[in-house]
Amino acid sequence: MTQVSEGSYIGQNVPRSDGHAKVTGAMVYPSDVIVPGMMYGALLRSPYPHAEILSVDTTEAEKMGAVCLTYKDIEPIKYNERSVSIPAATYRDRTVLPDKARHFGEPLMAVAADTQELAYRAVRAIKVEYKVLPAVFEPEEAMKDGAPQLYDKIYLGDEEVAVHNNIGVIRNISEGDCEAGFAKADRIFQESFELGRIYHNQMETKCAVVKPEPDGSITVWATAQSIHANRQLLGRVLGMPLSRINVIKLPFGGAFGSSIQVNTVTPICAYLALKAGRPVKLVSAREEDFYSHQKYPAKFTVKMGVTNDGLITAAHVTALVDFGAHQVQPLPFLGCTAGWFASLYKYEGNIRFDGTAVYTNKTPCCAMQGYGNPQINFAIESMIDIISNEMGFSPVDLRLKNYRGVGDEFWGQGPTIRSIIKSCGVEQSLVEGRQMTDFDHRERPDTKTGDVRRGLGLARGFHCSGTGGPKEGEVIDYSSALVKINEDGSVDLLTPVTDHGGGTWDALRKICAEVLQVPLDLVGLSPAGTMQIGYDVCTHATRGVYCGGAAVYHVAMKVKEKLLEVAGRLMAEHAYNLEVVRSDGLHQGVVQVKDFPAKSMTIGDIAKQAQNMSWGTIAYTDSYRQRNCPPCFTTHFVEVEVDMRTGVITVPKVLIFGDCGNPMNPDLVKGQLVGSFNRGFGYTVFEQLPTNEATGELANKGLLVDYKTPSAMEMPPIKDVEVILCDTYEPTGPFGAKGIGEAALASVQAAISNAVYNAIGIRFHKLPLTPEAVLAAIREREAQSAGATPS
Amino acid sequence: MSEKVKIRLKVNGEDVTYEVDAHMSLMRALREHYVWDVKCGCEVGECGTCTVLLDGQAVKSCLTLAAACDGHEVWTNKGLGYRDPLTARLQEAFVECGSVQCGFCTPGMIVAGAAYLKHGGKADRAAIKNIISGNLCRCTGYVKIVDAIYLVAKEIEEGRLTA
Repeated sequence: MTQVSEGSYIGQNVPRSDGHAKVTGAMVYPSDVIVPGMMYGALLRSPYPHAEILSVDTTEAEKMGAVCLTYKDIEPIKYNERSVSIPAATYRDRTVLPDKARHFGEPLMAVAADTQELAYRAVRAIKVEYKVLPAVFEPEEAMKDGAPQLYDKIYLGDEEVAVHNNIGVIRNISEGDCEAGFAKADRIFQESFELGRIYHNQMETKCAVVKPEPDGSITVWATAQSIHANRQLLGRVLGMPLSRINVIKLPFGGAFGSSIQVNTVTPICAYLALKAGRPVKLVSAREEDFYSHQKYPAKFTVKMGVTNDGLITAAHVTALVDFGAHQVQPLPFLGCTAGWFASLYKYEGNIRFDGTAVYTNKTPCCAMQGYGNPQINFAIESMIDIISNEMGFSPVDLRLKNYRGVGDEFWGQGPTIRSIIKSCGVEQSLVEGRQMTDFDHRERPDTKTGDVRRGLGLARGFHCSGTGGPKEGEVIDYSSALVKINEDGSVDLLTPVTDHGGGTWDALRKICAEVLQVPLDLVGLSPAGTMQIGYDVCTHATRGVYCGGAAVYHVAMKVKEKLLEVAGRLMAEHAYNLEVVRSDGLHQGVVQVKDFPAKSMTIGDIAKQAQNMSWGTIAYTDSYRQRNCPPCFTTHFVEVEVDMRTGVITVPKVLIFGDCGNPMNPDLVKGQLVGSFNRGFGYTVFEQLPTNEATGELANKGLLVDYKTPSAMEMPPIKDVEVILCDTYEPTGPFGAKGIGEAALASVQAAISNAVYNAIGIRFHKLPLTPEAVLAAIREREAQSAGATPS
Repeated sequence: MSEKVKIRLKVNGEDVTYEVDAHMSLMRALREHYVWDVKCGCEVGECGTCTVLLDGQAVKSCLTLAAACDGHEVWTNKGLGYRDPLTARLQEAFVECGSVQCGFCTPGMIVAGAAYLKHGGKADRAAIKNIISGNLCRCTGYVKIVDAIYLVAKEIEEGRLTA
């Protein structure tokens, strides 16, 4: 899509337009929504990890004035909370409320009452008789014969399928000839890696407000990354026509994938509101939110063949994933994980991926900034470091020799969605980073001594920008927009795309302003609900700017066509002789005759004249599908310090390269890269969610104080966080843009771990690298070297 | 059911009377009276999104008993932004420095920063990090938040703004 004009807003650092509302505290988030006559909801959550519900008595709760909801009140329609895949690739295993508890903290019953406190009291008054069942928490145990079974049968599309040994999904993918590739190699490496569950900790907990309207419709405000996904699922479980469900788009307090599916609370809240005949607000407490969704854990075994001149000839990954008690799409998760693996390096085209995803009595897992990418990236980028060290290659050169770049195929969303890479900042990142960090002269770990040892490490990664391919795959991807020119030359933009704080909405406004050449402040972002605007699959897969922006671009181009046609009639010129330019002096877009700017009209005058002549409003709405999913690349050069006495890892310095194509707003892109580094640091060194297997409860009991995330204290010194945006232009993106969001996290974990290896010579195969884990590894090495010393 | 108490306090410069449950937190009391810029992130003092000024000190309003605030003065980010030039400047600095992403932690973060500056806090990044260490932000990585508070501290030190 075309180059930007001179003086364009695109690529400029413009203060975000929602900034004022956010800093003054005026912004309304879903948890702030108040509706007259509103009731407050609360949930009875399972005190057991696995139990049948034998009986429920809500009499006492109802006497207190509460409206109660149990599985008996709901239609037992089976669904998957995540609906971005086509039905034939979607497993369905859950209902709005279950008759059997499958994980600790699972919502079993709900109440609504006049105050929040009364609602909590009413929950306590519900009497439930359980038959406690044996539970299983580890995937290896769950797959054994005789293990407690979570399900007998589930649905794939409309087909009933049996579940054996708790195995939810098996996904094996093979291309080329792995055996031949390994035979060609001079060395074979095989290592195992493990990444545990972590929690999104988005600052606003999951919530919904549902209001029954006088005409029988409902209005919904919710923490939601896709308003249309929420509408469609509500329509299905409530048996309501979609035309009666308006899900309103709102900013919300952080996503990171936490609201990528329709949250469990939302359909429950809708049922409560309909049963009560009154608006209901249902907000998760933080302790409950921990049990809503968590990041997918993964165990990998990676085998790679390498020739003596550093060519990777084949790679085989096996993956075992415990996704918890319900499927929130482990099928595409495995496909995507295979795709990230396949797209990092060429492997001479010889790849094999064997993925198994298993039910356990734990919290369901969903996407969390990367959908398998940070997990597999840690394994592959650690492997590359291991191979470099073992065979004496430069980690930079080994990557440069084997990476997939321009002209190569990229699997943007598993094996069914592939496109050809057309822009790539990998080489710039590796070459410039090597020079800036003097990477080739870093010292070997065995030369380092002292209590505090410093190391330098590197890893690279990427994510897709959207899930579009030349051919339709198993994932749905298109967006919509409505653009309308007002009678004063200002513009209304309606988009279903949500903005989680990255600045997506401003990027979309800029794209609209650039196409129509109007001052940015004249492009208004209209409130949008599912009743007002066409479908957008979700703000996920790093697609907001690339796919949502492309829809805005497409629709704005159509509006521009209409504008020039109307202007041509008014100015007695052929439309093709006219052009639009922005006039900052007039604070208007201006239509002028090409090469004769003296003959011109402002867009406001044109729209007003069109109104006076009763010609109609200059507006258009449509959907648009991107046919590529270009990778946005990142590379992290990280310096760490490891304290040999305490095991504490700190990061004194980090250099981040980001390739988002042409950045819409460079400062906001850099902000995302720095924020993601912070989350990646937490993932690598702090965050874990152990389960108390006696009770099925999280060891931290859902308390943030026992779930360490990085505070301001752990961030590197501010002057030593450097971000460089690559000089690339994506030809298929709106004004050259790709995404950045999820790519920003992908390689953080491996870069830190590789730096730790360079500091102390110990390879970590399992996250997190807590002080305890680091100290234990140091002690183990000391014991080994003491044992090996001849007496 | 539960005992109600009447409390008189000054909220954002206005004298108000709230009738609240005796055990209610200040955060709940404020939000129930439409002071929505005080956000609820955890309700047990872990995250800092509900930070307000109580008699000039930054406190987590979810850990503060509303009934104990009878006769005291509360300022929230929104009120400070209207009435206090220093906070208004700090709010602007947050926009300028790109310190805002989802914005949910922002009101509490600004109150923590304003309290620091009002108590003579210096343009010292390590000290600023320390003062916001009780306010969690999951989006930004804190760097630009520290930048914004630093920027305003610098302006005070250079005499361009009064604390």
